[in-house]
Amino acid sequence: MQVLMYLIVIIPLVGALLSYVQKNRNGLRIVNFVASVAMTGLALVLVYQTARHGALRYGMFYIDELSGLLLTVVSILTLTATLYSFSYMEREVVQGHLAAARLPGYYAMLNILSFTMVAVLLVENLGLMWVAVEATTLASALLVAFQLNRTAIEAAWKYVMVCTVGICFALLGTILLYYTQVNVAGSAIEALSWLQLAALSERLDPVMVKLAFIFILIGYGTKAGLAPMHTWLPDAHSQAPSPVSGLLSGSLLSCAMYVIIRNLIIVQNTLGQAFGQYLLIGFGLLSVAIAIPFILLQHDIKRLLAYSSVEHMGLITLGLGIGTPLAVYGALLHIFNHAVAKSALFYLAGDITQEYHTKHILRIRGLITAMPLTGTLFMLFIIAAVGVPPFGIFTSKMTITWASFAAGQPVLGFFILLLLSGIFAGMIFYCAKMVLGAPAQPVRKAQSGALSQIAFLLSFLIIAGAGIYLPTWFNGMLLRAAALVSGGGY
Amino acid sequence: MNVLVIVLFLSAFLLTRVTILRTAVIVLLLQSLAVAAACVVLGLETSQFHMYLAALLTIIIKAGYIPAALFKIVGRLRREREQNPILSPNYTSLTAALAIVLAYGLIDQALPGVVTRNALAAAIALLLIGLLIIMVRRQAVMQIVGLITMENGIYLLGLSVVKGLPLVIEFGVFLDILVAAVVLVILTYRLKISFLSTDTTQLRKLKG
Repeated sequence: MQVLMYLIVIIPLVGALLSYVQKNRNGLRIVNFVASVAMTGLALVLVYQTARHGALRYGMFYIDELSGLLLTVVSILTLTATLYSFSYMEREVVQGHLAAARLPGYYAMLNILSFTMVAVLLVENLGLMWVAVEATTLASALLVAFQLNRTAIEAAWKYVMVCTVGICFALLGTILLYYTQVNVAGSAIEALSWLQLAALSERLDPVMVKLAFIFILIGYGTKAGLAPMHTWLPDAHSQAPSPVSGLLSGSLLSCAMYVIIRNLIIVQNTLGQAFGQYLLIGFGLLSVAIAIPFILLQHDIKRLLAYSSVEHMGLITLGLGIGTPLAVYGALLHIFNHAVAKSALFYLAGDITQEYHTKHILRIRGLITAMPLTGTLFMLFIIAAVGVPPFGIFTSKMTITWASFAAGQPVLGFFILLLLSGIFAGMIFYCAKMVLGAPAQPVRKAQSGALSQIAFLLSFLIIAGAGIYLPTWFNGMLLRAAALVSGGGY
Repeated sequence: MNVLVIVLFLSAFLLTRVTILRTAVIVLLLQSLAVAAACVVLGLETSQFHMYLAALLTIIIKAGYIPAALFKIVGRLRREREQNPILSPNYTSLTAALAIVLAYGLIDQALPGVVTRNALAAAIALLLIGLLIIMVRRQAVMQIVGLITMENGIYLLGLSVVKGLPLVIEFGVFLDILVAAVVLVILTYRLKISFLSTDTTQLRKLKG
């Protein structure tokens, strides 16, 4: 197992190095294909072992059911993003948006991004986690700016500035937590190990922990795209190359949410549930609500999807805020479903924008005739993303709402349903506009590459399957992870 | 230590007043040197080897590489300076003074009677003033300087509250700052190429 864990961390690094020195286009494909398949395969084996046998710890590496869930998300998305990149980036080169010589750099950065995300999930230390989260921002910033046109640079500048300032606050919070740990643990300290912090949590200084958590929530909340710190998100997600948008939205936001959850576990033990709950429910409701006007009046297909991500992150935060095991279960399931569906949507949007040469919703017409497979899948994924059965997102949205009623907060549940119906209206309206009808000008039938079709279908199978049947081991892992969060304690 | 605290306050005040990019970088360099000196002083007090290493890293990265990179880019931006800032230098200085009062108030509330009271207040003031500069200055280079000031503040806070973070984490933090500076400098070059100026208020195309 130990070797497995090291390999998962090392493979993306080796992949990055090999991609960077690769001149040949086929060589680049082979290196990245092998690296992503190997990493995903090994990660899934590790997750399966964790689900079966419980948490594993080697030095500063650690994996339990919670990080297992997130590792599943990151590894699946790394695979689909790599597969989709092949056709997307090559078409960018063919269409003249990009010089072929820049491809090795792209793949190297992509691999470094997956390395940093895996590092966030596998380290057993809040300090190193901070380092890894900041590294994800920096690795993805150059990918956001990759097109090097004015809008891409604007998006990247805002992204780095907002997220780095945010994450500085998270570092401040982390230092304050360390201070409380030093005061309690004395010489037997394992600095910022969250296992030790959780074990000591009942003796930590509550005032300091409160202060620390506010900074931590604001800091990592910026990275997770919670309103009102979400301003960078639609810019960065709409300007990045589509495979990167999918990764940012699906796995990077989830990784930031994961760090919040790890801190939440400690804070809940020290302060009781109420304090964290108010904050999380507040941020969550605001994020869902703020997305609605932007979804109802949107002109850019990728920004539409980005605001839907803000909404989903808000919903996950709400689930964590309600805090009962059922709600947390729903939130964790939603992380998984959101990642798979939203990444696929961004990939499909990439195909669509390449075909129509515009991101403007009103200029995209009759997808279903112009691009039958892409159009159909796009519609199905949108339907899945707004929470229509039988897809996985229905299950998780339903669970969160249900948990809110079950926890004796019917007003909150009512609000959630009301807000979700607003999102539903906007998304379905624009989706119908793009997919149905006849194309404005005759478009020749286009097909995306075979590998990217595999990525779409894989995502579709997962999101459709998750609504109907979850494998027993996966469900058990989710249940235990939810128990970790709401029960507090490892 | 008190001398260093005064130097830090002074550097923060100067940053609120400068409009020439090169001067801002020089002030940043002095500020980082003061932080490194604070590390050495703490090292002498606690006789921990770790502190000297932190001082060395601060000098190499925050007083060495980052200012060098900024000087290089400022050399190419001869015509750029902070014109019509969002908040004029006078008001910015006033706000900075308020930030210092606020910092002392916070410390006395949260940690009454702490030994490193002045250093802590300087740390929080640097943090707030750095944030202020990012918000009220238009020039990309000024914003980078503000960010590093903020980072210096947090670093000083860690130093005065918990005697610095463990070494592995500290290495990681320094690495991140280094890479962040590199990324921001690259983006600033790109701003100059694409927008012909590094005034960040031009960045307003993405909306809605």
